[in-house]
Amino acid sequence: MPVGYFSLILHAHLPFVRHPEYPSFLEEDWLYEAITEVYLPLIFILQNLHEAGAKPRLAINVSPPLCEMLADKLLETRYTEHLERLLELAEKEVRRTEREAREFMPVARMYVDNLSASLHLWNDRYGRNLVNAFRELQEEGVVEIITCGATHGFLPLISTAEARAAQIKVAVANYEKHFGRQPRGIWLPECAYEPGIEDLLKEAGIEYFVSDTHAILYGDPRPKFGVHAPVVCPNGVAVFARDVETSQQVWSDVVGYPGSDVYREFYRDIGWDLPLDYLKPYLDDEGNRKHLGLKYHRITGRNVPQQLKQPYLPGLAREKAGENASHFLGERMKQAFELRELFGGHPPLVVSPYDAELYGHWWFEGPQFLDFFFRKLHFDQSEIAAVTPGDFLDSGISIQVQRPSASSWGENGYFKVWINEGNSWMYPYQHDAERRMTALANRFSDLNEGLHEGAANPVSASASLPVPTSRILNQLARELLLAQSSDWAFQIYQGTTVEYSSRRFQSHIHRFDLLANMLESGQVNEALLAEIEGRDNIFQEIDFRIYRSLTPEK
Amino acid sequence: MTEKVTRKLTAKVRDEEGISVEFAAFPEGGGPFTSPARPSAKPDTTVTSSVQEPSASAAGVTAEYSEEFLELAIPKLPSLSKANHARLLMQSPNRLYFYWTLAKNPFHTLNRALGQATNYSLVLKLVDLRTEAEEIHPVDAEGTWWFDVDADGEYRAEIGFYAVNRPYVRVLYSNTVATPRKSPSRRSAETAEWSVPAAKFARVLDAAGFQKDAFDIALAGDDAGAADLATRSAFAQFTGKRFDEFSSVSADEIRYAMFALASGLELDQLRALIGKRLFDIIAGLADAGSGRALAALDEQFEFSASEFTVEEEESSAAVFGASLVNFPRRVKKVPLRPGDFAVPGPFGSHSLVS
Repeated sequence: MPVGYFSLILHAHLPFVRHPEYPSFLEEDWLYEAITEVYLPLIFILQNLHEAGAKPRLAINVSPPLCEMLADKLLETRYTEHLERLLELAEKEVRRTEREAREFMPVARMYVDNLSASLHLWNDRYGRNLVNAFRELQEEGVVEIITCGATHGFLPLISTAEARAAQIKVAVANYEKHFGRQPRGIWLPECAYEPGIEDLLKEAGIEYFVSDTHAILYGDPRPKFGVHAPVVCPNGVAVFARDVETSQQVWSDVVGYPGSDVYREFYRDIGWDLPLDYLKPYLDDEGNRKHLGLKYHRITGRNVPQQLKQPYLPGLAREKAGENASHFLGERMKQAFELRELFGGHPPLVVSPYDAELYGHWWFEGPQFLDFFFRKLHFDQSEIAAVTPGDFLDSGISIQVQRPSASSWGENGYFKVWINEGNSWMYPYQHDAERRMTALANRFSDLNEGLHEGAANPVSASASLPVPTSRILNQLARELLLAQSSDWAFQIYQGTTVEYSSRRFQSHIHRFDLLANMLESGQVNEALLAEIEGRDNIFQEIDFRIYRSLTPEK
Repeated sequence: MTEKVTRKLTAKVRDEEGISVEFAAFPEGGGPFTSPARPSAKPDTTVTSSVQEPSASAAGVTAEYSEEFLELAIPKLPSLSKANHARLLMQSPNRLYFYWTLAKNPFHTLNRALGQATNYSLVLKLVDLRTEAEEIHPVDAEGTWWFDVDADGEYRAEIGFYAVNRPYVRVLYSNTVATPRKSPSRRSAETAEWSVPAAKFARVLDAAGFQKDAFDIALAGDDAGAADLATRSAFAQFTGKRFDEFSSVSADEIRYAMFALASGLELDQLRALIGKRLFDIIAGLADAGSGRALAALDEQFEFSASEFTVEEEESSAAVFGASLVNFPRRVKKVPLRPGDFAVPGPFGSHSLVS
């Protein structure tokens, strides 16, 4: 038995952003940047580790909206064009830096190498299908893919039991569509938990969820092993909570690894540095500056002004990533020995959940760090074993029964980020739609009751309603789910993309209302329905009947 | 690199009446990737959003929009349903949000039932279901409200009619919200396999990075009754009040507040950290100074001032992916001093870096 266990859990999620009504859309860049900087490198590194016999093992949540975007043909085409354009610019940059800024030649060449490799991986190795690439990693035993809320809805702030359950049921159905099996675990959106959520999970066949530290530390009764062992709710659903020390080591701006002087500076980007005329082919139609992803400077030092940043040296950064990985592993071993002693010989489990986008997007060298870490973990020691939460549950190690405490991983540990003076206006509209959805689902399911019981395919089941009716009902469900995405409230609170986020929320509520009015009035505008369906095409497998009342109406 | 770019993207499109309306720009940036803090400043640039609806140039469309495109171009929030509805939501253990709507003018119903009962006012009432304490505020037929409440409580909000010396008439009530505790449970598991004594649990909390809670658990020990008595005695000494005047406030919260005051925390800083009832008691004191709080604690818990240490933040927390992630404070042992309790509970505050 090892001294201790280590469970890395990555949360890969982006809100569903897809605008077919325009030839290009800035916010779609979120996905394109993440594919290039995060998902492709992660998949590639994990695949290589596996092939090298390093046996990496981790859990990763590929959220349902992300799966749907990665599987979308329009976004696939647009991403390919985006990547090709970026590579073209990078190649131009090699020539330019050779002529006039030789200190940046190494980093310019690095981007050509990286982007060429990305294009090859995207087109040839993974066939433009990253969902399938993740699925293969799961089937090879490298990752345990877990699910999330259907649209990352903040469960404690959803008003009806039906709408909460729908976030879980739709997520599970979508997981089965993409990964061909039932998910074992779930990353609760924003790690937001309140008592009762475990019952929804149990109902959906989910074995465990990921929570923040104080869900367990403040749970009842006191957890004997603190946060360094899972607990199990009285209904049998297990809880794995975040270890603070490892979070700090990777995420803190002061003591965290990403702040190293030699790592890439995120905020200095050629999209802001070079002449507009030169960049114009790579900007939007309006010619507005934006981050292009080609960043030539290193952090250089704390509080060093942007104009004094030094050129990025890829070799130096890679060396530092290796050092950091060694340090991280050393600290895990030290932590495991100390905890095991404190626990009287019981092996501790350190759970380290992170946003996947930290690795590669914000911390450019993050994927290299993980590469080094898993190699060292496998080849250099035997005290720490990398496991997934599912592996731990299978180990047979006994787990304490506890009622966890309400919590989230957001600022101050509760729900303030998602409900505050700046975004509380959203909830009456969202809750209205939640009640209306169940009322309509009840009304129209009743018309069909008995026709679809036991239907194997929910799409074909609901399709036997009059066509516009079932299409409207399913689209209503999509609009409600998209409105519930916690990303909108989060970004409004955070002060970034406030207008876009507000508009997205309002759009989905507006579209929900238009569609509900069609049903209630009997006046169906099929062209408008088709337009909405074409835009918000998430979850083609959805069946509105999941919103029917869970308990009989009085 | 400090170029200020504030894109003013304007586009014109007909609204429903065929009137030309102008779309404002959306000068913003960031997106779902919240920045992990870096030791470098973000350039003073405002990255734009590409909310383009419906920009002819961006869309590559020069003249006509379909009716459907225009219908969706300007999202409009619908009117909220005119229904009797009351919803109570938790923001934190000490704060709740309440909103309500009424389907019809409630005074018509009241008048039908009681005649011209003009001395009645429409009010909202927050009920503490564990202590049966209530607070009442006059309100309109629809609205919103924020409540300051206690952790580890159970609450329900109501809309009703209130008049002095007349029966209260409830019109509608909300769901019930249970606020979580802000500290570890007082209860250890009953089975031998999972039972953990206070001293050991304090070490477990310390190892988890929750040093303040570890300190409190170690101080309180395994005898919860004795710890409560010592806490209440200290508070009685500090406030000059009888036990029954603060019996509805938990000893854990009292102890937390007294340590905060003893550390030199100012009263206004304490407001956000504790429940309203306890705050009101302390705020009413002529002298809520740190020396008196420390002396009262010292007498009951018998520790020396030199042992009275908490941990201070070593790093400013500011770290994030797509979420603002909560951290306990990064800590080291230092003597207790003003400001140590400036952050609620064990949690670190996280500056927004972008």
